[in-house]
Amino acid sequence: MAVTVIEPGLGATGTRRPRPPGHWQAARRALLREPRRVVGAAIVVIFVVLAVVGPFLYPRHLAANANSIYAPPSLVHPLGTDFEGTDVLSLMVTGARYVLVSGAVAGAIAVVLGALVGLLAGYLAGAVDWSLSRITDFALTIPQYPLLVVLAAVVRFTSPVLIGVLLGVTSWPGLARAVRSQAFSLRERPYIEASRSLGLSTRHVIVREMLPNIAPYVAMNLLVSMIGAIYAETGLFFLGILPTSNVNNWGAMLNQAVFSAGAIGSPQAISYLLSPLVAILLLTLGIVFVLDAVDEFFNPRLRG
Amino acid sequence: MRTNSASLSSPTATTAQSVTVPGEVPGAEIRGLKVVFQTPAGPMPAVNDVDLDLPLGTITGLVGESGSGKSTLALAMMNAVPKPGHIAAGSIRLPSVTDMTRLQGKALRLARGTALGYVFQASQNSLNPLKRIGAQLLDLGRAHGMEDKGALLRHARELCERMGLDPVRTLSAYQHELSGGMRQRVGIVFALILNPSVLVLDEPTTALDMISQRTVLDIIRYVQRERHLATLIITHDIAIVADLADYLVVMYGGRVVEKGPTRHVLQRAAHPYTEGLIAAIPRISGDIDRAQPLPGRPPDLLSIPRQGCVFRERCAFAIDQCSVQTPGLMPVRVTRRHDALEEDSALLDGQVAACHVRAPAPSAKVST
Amino acid sequence: MSPDSPPSVKVTTGSGKARWARLGRRLGARVLTGVVMVLAVATLTFFLVHSMPGNPIQTEYQTLIARGVSPSLAAQQVAGMYGFVSSKPLIDQYGQYMWHLLQFNLGKSITASGEPVVHLVLSAAPWTIIPVLSGLIVSFLLGVSLGAVAAVRRTNRLGKVLSVSGSLFHGVPQFVWAVMLAYLFTTLLPIFPFGSPYNILDTPGWNGPFILSLVYSAILPVLAYALSSYGGWLLTMRSSVVTVLGDDFVLAAELRGLRPLTQLRYVARNAFLPLFTTLLLSVGFMFGGSIFIEEVFDYPGLGYQLVNAVNARDYPLMSGDFLFITVAVIAANILADFLYTFIDPRVRKAA
Repeated sequence: MAVTVIEPGLGATGTRRPRPPGHWQAARRALLREPRRVVGAAIVVIFVVLAVVGPFLYPRHLAANANSIYAPPSLVHPLGTDFEGTDVLSLMVTGARYVLVSGAVAGAIAVVLGALVGLLAGYLAGAVDWSLSRITDFALTIPQYPLLVVLAAVVRFTSPVLIGVLLGVTSWPGLARAVRSQAFSLRERPYIEASRSLGLSTRHVIVREMLPNIAPYVAMNLLVSMIGAIYAETGLFFLGILPTSNVNNWGAMLNQAVFSAGAIGSPQAISYLLSPLVAILLLTLGIVFVLDAVDEFFNPRLRG
Repeated sequence: MRTNSASLSSPTATTAQSVTVPGEVPGAEIRGLKVVFQTPAGPMPAVNDVDLDLPLGTITGLVGESGSGKSTLALAMMNAVPKPGHIAAGSIRLPSVTDMTRLQGKALRLARGTALGYVFQASQNSLNPLKRIGAQLLDLGRAHGMEDKGALLRHARELCERMGLDPVRTLSAYQHELSGGMRQRVGIVFALILNPSVLVLDEPTTALDMISQRTVLDIIRYVQRERHLATLIITHDIAIVADLADYLVVMYGGRVVEKGPTRHVLQRAAHPYTEGLIAAIPRISGDIDRAQPLPGRPPDLLSIPRQGCVFRERCAFAIDQCSVQTPGLMPVRVTRRHDALEEDSALLDGQVAACHVRAPAPSAKVST
Repeated sequence: MSPDSPPSVKVTTGSGKARWARLGRRLGARVLTGVVMVLAVATLTFFLVHSMPGNPIQTEYQTLIARGVSPSLAAQQVAGMYGFVSSKPLIDQYGQYMWHLLQFNLGKSITASGEPVVHLVLSAAPWTIIPVLSGLIVSFLLGVSLGAVAAVRRTNRLGKVLSVSGSLFHGVPQFVWAVMLAYLFTTLLPIFPFGSPYNILDTPGWNGPFILSLVYSAILPVLAYALSSYGGWLLTMRSSVVTVLGDDFVLAAELRGLRPLTQLRYVARNAFLPLFTTLLLSVGFMFGGSIFIEEVFDYPGLGYQLVNAVNARDYPLMSGDFLFITVAVIAANILADFLYTFIDPRVRKAA
């Protein structure tokens, strides 16, 4: 998912206009400007709520019912049932937490690592920048999915947090590169130069002076990293690389549907097969619309 | 083409006589030009009721702060006002074009570059970075129906030499291989290659170091003499054009507030704004405190007064009339005082100003 | 200074020979970096295989002993599979592994009855490379041209619809595309074959029906690659064109009265350039996506092989596939970077 990093709002001249202190207001305005962005934000919020309260709505072990396998959607089973007669909706709702928890952990790790490496490289420049950039380039070159597949074979990933850590440590380089270029331009700003010449510590300058400047940008990339991690995670479950038994996860559902339950060859299983797909697509839709607002916030030129 | 400018008097009695001196050939005549921008708050005039003559063989300096409408005026001369603006009224006559504002489509495209050469404000970056200078000159020639490549290149080489550029190397160079001053000179080559008789330079020396500024200004003077052009130099810095321009035009808030022969305007500025601009020039010799910045801020599109004098809010001499009646350009008179009772006023040759106080209308009826 | 004698200034352009020397140095540096990266990836793979749970090498060795193979022969066979002998110190094993690697010896597959990994990888490679490249070309042409339209028409409905479509297509993960296409066109609307890269009734070889069935079976995988990367191209091209349209030289070209077609060419070429760097990233992305797309369509390429090797604990084959995919991506990077210097004069100078 290295491709999905929002480009920082650098114009052709390479300088970003300093944002007035009210950039959170600007972000809100960008969000409210078009209805579809509000819809997107609503979708994202609904999924988050599902992840938080979902598992409390159903028993720990979902009931199977051999008498209603691949049942079509009905009042009892709004999304039908799966290959062992379990309610698909309950699978969806309880699966949301797993998906979002590892996504959140991965996003947080990726953003912290990416911002840290980028800021250090961009601010310290010289040898530190050279070596950090080489590491970033290297990490960026290795295709992420094959690496994940290989890593998943080495480490036993049993909890969503652990999977989040794995995804996080493999997806920071894109952000690091973008933050580095921002840090480079920040470095030349008079007030940063002033803090440096005052002899303030590197930590102080980076944390107090530079971080606030890239904070909104990094916050937005948290969203991008999260969605990337969610795809990678559901993808790994889908491939069966991560153990799918006793796991409630949309990817695991898809794996069982496609590879073991044969749902992909069965027109009756449409609601079972489509439910995790639609969940992923809906989440994508929500995040894409929110990112649309983000894009406008960072690249006012695109507004046209 | 008209040869006698005596017939070029302005359409209404309240606007002033043209600056053109009899015997000079008009290169460009702008009449009653009005450029309006559509804004959420309604249509806003960025250039209002501007009359301007650029005689062939002369250099005119157009001076104003940012937001004065000077760059919009320059773009309007190319009939290239960016959206959401448009030319609402007026005409622009060039030697080979009856009215630039009426052209569109292919005719407009062909007129740009041939009737009027334009040197861009950001001439530093006015070239395609991926193409050699020579190839871009050929593109330009081809776009205007010049099939004779050889002649075009000969002309280009000759122009380069005139600019002090090594012709062979310049034409085979990419933009990034040239320094800022060299790019600016290449920009002038592009403006002159199609032999226009009118040349407009928008802030030609901004972003250049002092030495390059000097060189570029010398080149402008030089090609001007050689080609007998009608040249318009747009600048925010009156010092740049002080010893280069034959005529000065001062704009403020979209209106021409004073114009006339450079010498007269500099020596006896009539409009308070022009006075302020001249006072703001720092001089090498003399007290730094004598360079007085203008108080207040220039108006933007939304804050330009719609009625009355555009400058009145920053003006120390404003009277009641200034907020009611828009002053027209009136001849500036020098008043010599013979004794306490007798005044003898003489018209200063061709200098006009739009100020109720300094250049009142001959039969001024002060509204009360 | 007299206005009649403007100063002459020299223009600095590289002569032909110097430029080629610069290009050569640049290419050399890039290849060197690439080799270092490949070695680093190989090292990574070595240690990954070493830290596999349940010590696969030891297990393999024990299995052979249990089958009655003599300890020395068993050790030899295990060494043949993994490319190193597990009883030796780690550093010796590493040295041996790398030495074999330099001779293009990646060991032998465990599942495919001792077949050299290199053969297996090379026979799987075309099944990945050809569909990936076809998908890339389709999505690139489509995405770039529609992206340009989206940029020029960005204020009206068409432009907005195009860029929203780009974002959505870009957002949908590859395995979702693959599953949706497979379900839609092989189950709900069965117009494409499923589960084989060609019709098994045709004899493989250079004959019409076989090649036709190859192409026919490749349509869905290629479509999946194309759809999953189309949005990225569209968005990148759009933002690139928007940036270039705001550049001064575009306005200058218009005000100098250049032909509309010439203006368009100026914009297109300048907007197109930055997409080359995106191309670098997308090759890796596409190769990575092969693990999903091939898995869904049972397409016997590198991704399919890699996933199966992991599931079957065939570690030599796994590391061979991983290494090959990484090398392919690094090679594509070097190639694209080198081509870039040809089309961008500024880089040519800076190199």
